[in-house]
Amino acid sequence: MAEMTGTKAFNVAMKELMEKDDKILVLGEGVGRKGGTWGYFADLWTTYGNSRMIDTPIAEAGFSCVGNGLAYGGYRPVIEYMFADFSSLGFDAIVNQAAKARYNSNGELSLPITFIMPNSGGGKSGNQHSQSVEAWYSNAPGLKIVTPTTPGDVRRFLKAAILDDDPVVFMHARGMMFMSEEVDETDMSIPSLANAGKIVTEGKDLTIVSWHRMLPRCLEAAAEVTKETGKTIEVIDPRVLLPFDIDTVVKSVAKTGKAMVVHEAPARGGFGMQVSAMIGENCLKDLKAPVKRIGGYNTSIPFGVGEEYAYPQVEDIKVGIMELLK
Amino acid sequence: MKFTKDQMLKLYEELVHVRTMNDKIVEFIFGGRIAGAIHPSLGQEAIVAGLMFAYENTPYEVWRTGTHRQQAAMARTVGLDGFLAELMNRATGTVHGIAGEYHLVKLDKKLLPHSGVLGVTPPTATGFAWSLKLGGKTNAVVSCPFGDGMMSEGYVYEAMNIASIHKVPILFIIENNGMAMSTPLEWESPIEDLYLRGISAGMKGSSIDGNDVEAVVEATLEGLDQAAKYNPNVIEMKTIRWGGHFVGDKQEVYRDMSFQEGLEKHDPVIRYEQTLLERGVANEDHFAKVKAEQRKLLDAAFEKAVEAPFPKKEDFLNPNIVYTNTDGLPL
Repeated sequence: MAEMTGTKAFNVAMKELMEKDDKILVLGEGVGRKGGTWGYFADLWTTYGNSRMIDTPIAEAGFSCVGNGLAYGGYRPVIEYMFADFSSLGFDAIVNQAAKARYNSNGELSLPITFIMPNSGGGKSGNQHSQSVEAWYSNAPGLKIVTPTTPGDVRRFLKAAILDDDPVVFMHARGMMFMSEEVDETDMSIPSLANAGKIVTEGKDLTIVSWHRMLPRCLEAAAEVTKETGKTIEVIDPRVLLPFDIDTVVKSVAKTGKAMVVHEAPARGGFGMQVSAMIGENCLKDLKAPVKRIGGYNTSIPFGVGEEYAYPQVEDIKVGIMELLK
Repeated sequence: MKFTKDQMLKLYEELVHVRTMNDKIVEFIFGGRIAGAIHPSLGQEAIVAGLMFAYENTPYEVWRTGTHRQQAAMARTVGLDGFLAELMNRATGTVHGIAGEYHLVKLDKKLLPHSGVLGVTPPTATGFAWSLKLGGKTNAVVSCPFGDGMMSEGYVYEAMNIASIHKVPILFIIENNGMAMSTPLEWESPIEDLYLRGISAGMKGSSIDGNDVEAVVEATLEGLDQAAKYNPNVIEMKTIRWGGHFVGDKQEVYRDMSFQEGLEKHDPVIRYEQTLLERGVANEDHFAKVKAEQRKLLDAAFEKAVEAPFPKKEDFLNPNIVYTNTDGLPL
């Protein structure tokens, strides 16, 4: 076991992959000598040089498409956006090109490309550098969406994302990459993207589905509620949103009878709507209350000190839990 | 280059082939036999024919993108029967009639993807050309034709810039027909010579008469040669779009129709016939014979395609053509 941050875990996963597969290339702003905006690619340029660690112009639209072209040519490109928000300029490359490549060949080819999106707030950087963009990509069949939260999961699911033969949008909580935990670095297994849901804490009275920065807040709120009321809460980290592991959630709701989804993106149109709908469709006879959704305010994310006003806080989640447990 | 008599006759045949395919498309749409917005290359045959000829007469392996206005060149790349069936949405199509003519991709025939959303084809093709270079594949190039309309998309500049920085083996061809769908060139660009934008990205570039089929061949062969030497470059080929943006588009609503005066002077087929007559290479009887042959060939090919069955519902909705592995799906 080794203590590592999310950033380190990302870096370790890249090293492990690039060593084994010389078709893996990285494209993005500053991914070469600098090691990437967030340090995810530190030391890789020294080993792999300009041909595999490719510093691009500030041209998200162009380099996203170039990445697709490299994938058509047999490479396994990893495209990094500085912030998930900036992927809007690569949107066509992702939803109209990569996502449809296989279909337009009638299944003859696949495009093994991974789009890295540093998601979420925590950096006080305002409304164009802090968004959680899961829902932007969830309505484009052909894509998979991988959303690990902890360092250990970042390491293993990043590898699964890059080694998957379909285009994958890989979103991680930028604001949590400094968090560290013990990671079993000898575990070289590649997790399946299907059935990826993980029960983080077990409970009997309520099921919460949450990921990224809201996950620890849910755990904290749940612990407080348990302490105060004795009721126990099952918290599930889906880790992959598409394909979504509904079975793990359904089993949990069958036991608890109540469900809540918490994420950082605005509640309206957020991926929580999809999760809520799936729970409704699959668990109606078990549900003792409507599924509750807690998300960011339907507003623009404030710059600087005001940032957290837009995001759910532990207290908001606790209030939601208490309402559901009534 | 000096064209041999056989080459000139072949070029003429290609011109007539492209023209006849355009005529057949119009005939089938107005005859109510096929549906969909299809954009034939009437008036622009010299470019399509010239590219087809150049691709087959260069020493290099040419990977190419199509456009919505280059049906004949794409058909030559993937096979006529399969292409026409794809155009008509038939199950015998190149990709089973699933994607349609302007979305299909067929890598084993060297047809790279071109996009229905304009702009993204050049950077995607640039990425592919880069993969050839990174993989150490020599004598292999990408030819990426597109229209003047696409030149207004920022993607094209980003592609040219990246191609030029990394010296990837790609030839960009701007088929400038003066109309971006319904917008004339003067409202698309303050400069008339669009290849200059390639120059600004550090590439070599030129502008040629795109209605002169031999000029198209010569420029394309030179452009492919430069690309193979890792000098990405751009050729603008100026031409005239005769019809609306697509078959059935009422262009008189938005277009100054004076372009039609003396249009025969720019007709690439008539122009090449005059050249061949002047050179004593062929006569009117030969022209009539080639036209009859092409008409017969394409009549039969179009009938064969349209008689094929449509794909089935389960073919269109097959999840295996959306994802390579469907574990955990449907989502």
